[in-house]
Amino acid sequence: MSEDLVHAVELSRTYGQGRTAVVAVHSVSCAVGPTDRVALTGRSGSGKSTLLHLLAGLDRPTGGTLDWPALGGSPSGRPGLIGLVFQGPSLLPPLDAAENVALPLLLAGGEVAESRRRALAALAEAGVADLAGKLPEELSGGQAQRVAVARVLASSPRLILADEPTAQLDAAHRDEVVRLLLAAADALGAGLVIATHDTRVADQLPSRWIMDDGRIRERLPC
Amino acid sequence: MLTLGWIAGLLRHRAARLAAIAGGITIAVALLASLGVFLATAKATMTQRSVQRVPVDWQVEVQPGADLSAVQAAVRADPHVVTALAVGYATSTRLSSTVDGTTLTTGTAQVLGLPDGYAGAYPGELRGLSGAPSGVLLAQQTAANLHAAPGTQVVIGRTGLPDATVTVAGIVDLPAIDTLFQKVGAPVGAQPQAPPDNVLLLPAATWHQVFDPLAGQRPDLVRTQLHTRIRHDLPADPAAAYTQVSSSANHLAVTLAGAGLVGDNLGKVLADARSDARYADILFLFLGLPGAVVAALLTAAVTASGATRRRREQALLRARGAAPRHLLRLAAAEAVVVGGGGAVLGLAIAAAIARFGFGTPIWSGVGAGWAVVAGLAGLLVAALTVLVPAYRDLSQTTVAGARRIVGAQRRSPAWLRYGLDGWLLLGAAAMLWITGRNGYQLVLAPEGVPTISVNYWAFLGPALLWAGGALLAWRLSALLLTRARRLTSWTLRPVAGTLSGTVAATLSRGYRQASRTVVFIALAAAFAASTSIFAATYRHQAEIDAQLTNGADVTLTVPASQAGTVRAVPGVRSAEPVQHRFAYVGPDLQDMYGIRADQIAGHVALQDSYFSGGTAQQLLRRLAGRPDAVLVSAETVKDFQLTPGDLLRLRLPDARTGTTITVPFHYAGIVHEFPTAPTDSFLVANAAYLSQQLGDNAPVTLLVSTNGASPSTVAGRLRDRLGSATRITDIESARRIVGSSLSAVDLSTLTGVELGFALALTAATAGLLLALGFAERRRTFALAAALGARPRQLASLVWAEVAMVGVAGLLLGGVLGAVLSKTLVTILTGVFDPPPDRLAVPWPYLAAVTALGVACLAAAGAATTVAARRPPVTVLRDL
Repeated sequence: MSEDLVHAVELSRTYGQGRTAVVAVHSVSCAVGPTDRVALTGRSGSGKSTLLHLLAGLDRPTGGTLDWPALGGSPSGRPGLIGLVFQGPSLLPPLDAAENVALPLLLAGGEVAESRRRALAALAEAGVADLAGKLPEELSGGQAQRVAVARVLASSPRLILADEPTAQLDAAHRDEVVRLLLAAADALGAGLVIATHDTRVADQLPSRWIMDDGRIRERLPC
Repeated sequence: MLTLGWIAGLLRHRAARLAAIAGGITIAVALLASLGVFLATAKATMTQRSVQRVPVDWQVEVQPGADLSAVQAAVRADPHVVTALAVGYATSTRLSSTVDGTTLTTGTAQVLGLPDGYAGAYPGELRGLSGAPSGVLLAQQTAANLHAAPGTQVVIGRTGLPDATVTVAGIVDLPAIDTLFQKVGAPVGAQPQAPPDNVLLLPAATWHQVFDPLAGQRPDLVRTQLHTRIRHDLPADPAAAYTQVSSSANHLAVTLAGAGLVGDNLGKVLADARSDARYADILFLFLGLPGAVVAALLTAAVTASGATRRRREQALLRARGAAPRHLLRLAAAEAVVVGGGGAVLGLAIAAAIARFGFGTPIWSGVGAGWAVVAGLAGLLVAALTVLVPAYRDLSQTTVAGARRIVGAQRRSPAWLRYGLDGWLLLGAAAMLWITGRNGYQLVLAPEGVPTISVNYWAFLGPALLWAGGALLAWRLSALLLTRARRLTSWTLRPVAGTLSGTVAATLSRGYRQASRTVVFIALAAAFAASTSIFAATYRHQAEIDAQLTNGADVTLTVPASQAGTVRAVPGVRSAEPVQHRFAYVGPDLQDMYGIRADQIAGHVALQDSYFSGGTAQQLLRRLAGRPDAVLVSAETVKDFQLTPGDLLRLRLPDARTGTTITVPFHYAGIVHEFPTAPTDSFLVANAAYLSQQLGDNAPVTLLVSTNGASPSTVAGRLRDRLGSATRITDIESARRIVGSSLSAVDLSTLTGVELGFALALTAATAGLLLALGFAERRRTFALAAALGARPRQLASLVWAEVAMVGVAGLLLGGVLGAVLSKTLVTILTGVFDPPPDRLAVPWPYLAAVTALGVACLAAAGAATTVAARRPPVTVLRDL
């Protein structure tokens, strides 16, 4: 229990009220530790993204309890504890790749020069050092996601949460991004949860939680 | 159906943006319509006031040998004539009176014979001061010369006949003495005649008794005029009214076939008013149009700030099979909704302004035309800002291209690369130089000519300055944000801390949007600054004009011995004596003022612009330095080819003997204006020298400064002390006369409206563009929040940008406003009388505009900060 990065009990998230209420996550209990590598799968609308956002502290549950024991409480407003890779464009359009990667470090209070040094190192680690000065609009989908992974690497998070990170990528880029995320989690000793509806991505992770109708129906070790 | 559904969706989901676009159109329409209504109302007022200012519309002088009754019949038969009364004019050799055993005698005098009911028919011609309003009346100055009062007997000298004696019944002022004694039929451009010094008014019967015998012997000394009032159903525009009145006068002159000459007083006043009307047009263009254009551009900018989203929406619709014509139909419907809504609201605001500001219903008369024009302009702005960009996007953008989030517009705009801003500013300088060569003569309305010439090229200078200034502001802003990123980052560090570099990078990459906001804030601030500075300078000069007209807070003409009495009246701070005499310069009779050159500046406000060749102080010092020095008009210098130090021998009446003697003077400098002096040529010399040469028993004009007491109150006290026969005028009355004479356009209401719009425009640009810019970047803020940005850090991102854009915009606007103000005041010299020495800056108003701009920026920043606190997941999902 004390080793859990995030621990949820009977977690629920309902949007709206009354007859129009939509239950996106329904009584989910789960925990993620530093060595966990979990693929959160399910059909579109099954609640994967919502659960991921709840685990990241980006959204507030409407029921149940949620805690981050190993992180010392909610990660909200504490940049760098959780690394996020979003679905679709997740880089800030007006910042170049290096500035995007450095941003979480600056938000965490890092010095400008040190943050840039670490950003460039993370870009190099992700194999995209040559893209440091490029704007997001100048990057392909695969390049943008690799920069997003570099952003996670740079801030050395304890938990990495990725929401459909390969949704718009071809097979080669898809595998490359997943490999990078796994390598990052291993290198950092961080827990990793990837929400995906792509079984080829899920197959590359040792654990799989299958969601349906807001609930985790199955937990499979691969 | 699709169109209605689309509009309903826009109203539901994009209501704020549509409201912002409609708001821009509202401002443009309201400004145009209200200024147009003002212009129409002002012109109508000019015509009405011109009519009111003229006591006698036409003076028809019966020519020697002509049959008076025939001329009278012809005049009365003219369809335009309402009243025509015969007035006799006779020249008397002298007037004299004996008071307390002393006989006082004047020089030649004019004696008028007024028919019964004259004062009632032409109330502006006579103003009773004391005694009876009818009977034998003596003009105020003549009464002063003769020490006469009601009851005094006055002897009338008649050439070749015995004297006649009448008893004075009342003392009157003759407000329109210049036109009353004009030379009827003088050629166009002839110098005005000096009015007679001595005037006596007799009832027609008495006049005939006294002067009919003289008419038989000396017909050259007796004449008759028909003082005529015509119908006043004139067109509202002074130019059209002038044409109608002067045509009618010409028609009457032709009808009389030489038996009578027509002095068209009303036509002359309307001729001046038509120049004022053209200046009003010019003021509208210079002061009003920029505001409407800025409002229209603001509308375009608001529309453009949603361009990315619109392109994406278009792309989605096109990807789902919508044809370009469908998309154009949707854009047209959107344009109609925002244009129509904005126009209706703008016209409603203009109607309220017209009703409560100008006291005119917007739909009455010529105002209705302006309302229609303004409404159509609103629809045009909507079409240009909504429909045209949509069409351009459709014809130039691919579906894939439109779906990109940020357009890769790395290359500078062509105008920036080719230095268009510099060329425009150079063009503006050239046009200003060319206009300056003509002495900034924008309106030319030659007397007697129905057409008015307006120098439209003069408009080009300010127009190029506006455009060049806006583009230069864009260039400077872009330079600051892109090339001076380190400086920007360093400047923003106090606000954004370690994120200052991130803000600088954001501003640098989005420099187009930031620069656009900077430029709009600058333009709105420049509009507010230039309008308010021009208005303040105008008010200041109007005050000086009143000072010039009246001479001082209170002005009175008394014997020099009464100066001490005047100084003792409560409320009087000082009373500076100025002698008023006449001198012949060649054949011209000019006013001559004798002053205490070493003391007058301490008691009377003298502007540098009154003089040429030095400041007021320098010219007065030059005058004081030589007893026989004289300041003359520029026209006299030109006519007589004078150089400083030249000897001038002028002929002046000697107060001791009544004869004209030659007095030597030395030319010392040029004077254009002087308190109480006429607008044409006059002379200024040392009072002590004039007294030494001509005697010192002439009455003096005292220029009284009050100690803060109301000038009209002090004038009242002086009247009580000195009696009603003394002519006393105060600046408050003069201000009313100057304001209503329309020698310049009354700007008070216009500037009030414009300043209100300038405030609204500044508020709209400052807040709206920034808020919309932030709205476009909600995803950026949401992503930053998702990456762990605390509310304080998000706020610092917002406030740093607000500070940068706000400070840059207000600073650049201040500079542009100052340059524009100077330019406008210089070009519109014709509006000012006299031209200003310097600009009057209304600091409280400018502080209010700045405060409002800062408040709107702060409101936009605060709203964005609050919005940035929304859970990022919600925002990202919504987007």
